[in-house]
Amino acid sequence: MALIKRLYNWLDLRIGAKEIVEQELTGYLLPRNINEWYSLGSVLLVIFTLQVVTGLLLLVYYVPDAEKAFKSVTYIMNELPYGWLIRLCHAVGSNMMVAVLIMHMLSTLFMKSYKSPRELNWLTGFLLFTLVQGISLTGYLLPWSQLSFWATTVATNSAAAIPVVGPYLVEFLRGSKLVGPATLGRFFALHVGVIPAVIAGLIGAHLFCLKRTGISTPPFGDQVETGSHWNPEHYRYESHPGGIPFFPNYALQDLTSIGVYFAVFLAVVFFAPNLLFTPDAFIPANAFQTPAHIKPEWYFLANYQTLKIFPSELLGLSVQAAAMTFLALLPFIDRSPERNPFKRPLFLVCFFGGFLLWVGLSVWGHYS
Amino acid sequence: MENNGRRKFLGVCLAGASAAAAAAAVYPVFRYLAPRSDQQGSNKVEFAESDLPAGEAKFFEYAGSSAVLVKTSAGAVVALSAVCTHLGCIVQWEKDKQDFLCPCHAGRYTPDGTVVSGPPPRPLAKIPVSVANGKITVG
Repeated sequence: MALIKRLYNWLDLRIGAKEIVEQELTGYLLPRNINEWYSLGSVLLVIFTLQVVTGLLLLVYYVPDAEKAFKSVTYIMNELPYGWLIRLCHAVGSNMMVAVLIMHMLSTLFMKSYKSPRELNWLTGFLLFTLVQGISLTGYLLPWSQLSFWATTVATNSAAAIPVVGPYLVEFLRGSKLVGPATLGRFFALHVGVIPAVIAGLIGAHLFCLKRTGISTPPFGDQVETGSHWNPEHYRYESHPGGIPFFPNYALQDLTSIGVYFAVFLAVVFFAPNLLFTPDAFIPANAFQTPAHIKPEWYFLANYQTLKIFPSELLGLSVQAAAMTFLALLPFIDRSPERNPFKRPLFLVCFFGGFLLWVGLSVWGHYS
Repeated sequence: MENNGRRKFLGVCLAGASAAAAAAAVYPVFRYLAPRSDQQGSNKVEFAESDLPAGEAKFFEYAGSSAVLVKTSAGAVVALSAVCTHLGCIVQWEKDKQDFLCPCHAGRYTPDGTVVSGPPPRPLAKIPVSVANGKITVG
């Protein structure tokens, strides 16, 4: 311990470590009524880091070539020591990332943390959500199995409904008329290079907004601060005098949430490894044989079902685009200063109604 | 005092659990990245004696590394590691001079691997070789 203290003092003399700790950890005060839902951002940071690490490890042996991709994934899964563990952590982790991101967004919606002055936090978060869906979609093709090949065919085909440019857009996305080796090349580049870099940048922007605006106060529990005290004339950091310090108090909550996440995540990896794989995931891609009942990933099932229930694909796409735009611009549409959801019955109905609609469409899409 | 003891005990438990978790995460990654012993190539290689005329050399992969088989002008068959003992480059056979030259730093070896000139500190490693019934067996 004495050695650690000496090292800490040595660092402090050179880079002012104590000042940083005081400013960012022990002196960084959070609202006293903060709850566990606020720790989902930290859980997401851990998941993203784990995805980067496992992704880099998979890159060591994965071959992005239509002739060799499936074989290289099979080699990782069946022959390399612990290859199955690293690949499953990556595959399960991507689904978990979407699930936790949805929970993070739902809690932000429910506690109204998206309201002024946090429009940019919401927008960067929303962009992160669409990019995480994008990185999941592009990664889905890489094993080059029947499942990944045909799910990508179905997913990319949706863009054909856009008038005039639709068919060309599909061809541009795929790099060829049908999904093929050209698609694998561009999806690989997007999955391992472009999208992760943009996600990392947006995470930085999201955290920057969080630090500059200050953390929001939950609209319920002890010491509730209702209504917005933000004055649109001047920049103001929302401080929480008399609040609880981030370290050690809330860091412990972050660790607890990360622990709970790992329990669920590892339970799936070790006890239900095939939860996310259908039998088509174990057959190499065959461009001449479409398997029956190809479905997209669970988080695209609602979109998939929406396209099916509308008489024209264009209408289905437009409805989805309108819903996504509405969600993205919500902080600019919902201007009411009231943040307590229990004092806004219309909001509560929309929130639960919208969530149930999404779940209903997903279940319907799964069984349709 | 009692509180301090409990705090220290919990601290040690936490450090131990963290170390165990870290080891559980690092070990699979190490095994995943470690070179595989079953992919080091064959330890026994056979050639037809007619494939190797006198004064010629034949390079091949042996036990995950590079090796060379030489039939000297006198007819003796020698198998050597082709890895130069200086800095690990692969030596080249010079048919006209009947010796090995390492192109990296001009180390020279005789057909039986002895250093003639240049910086190599040791001779080329010898590999067991036998000739029987028109077949050359290395290893």
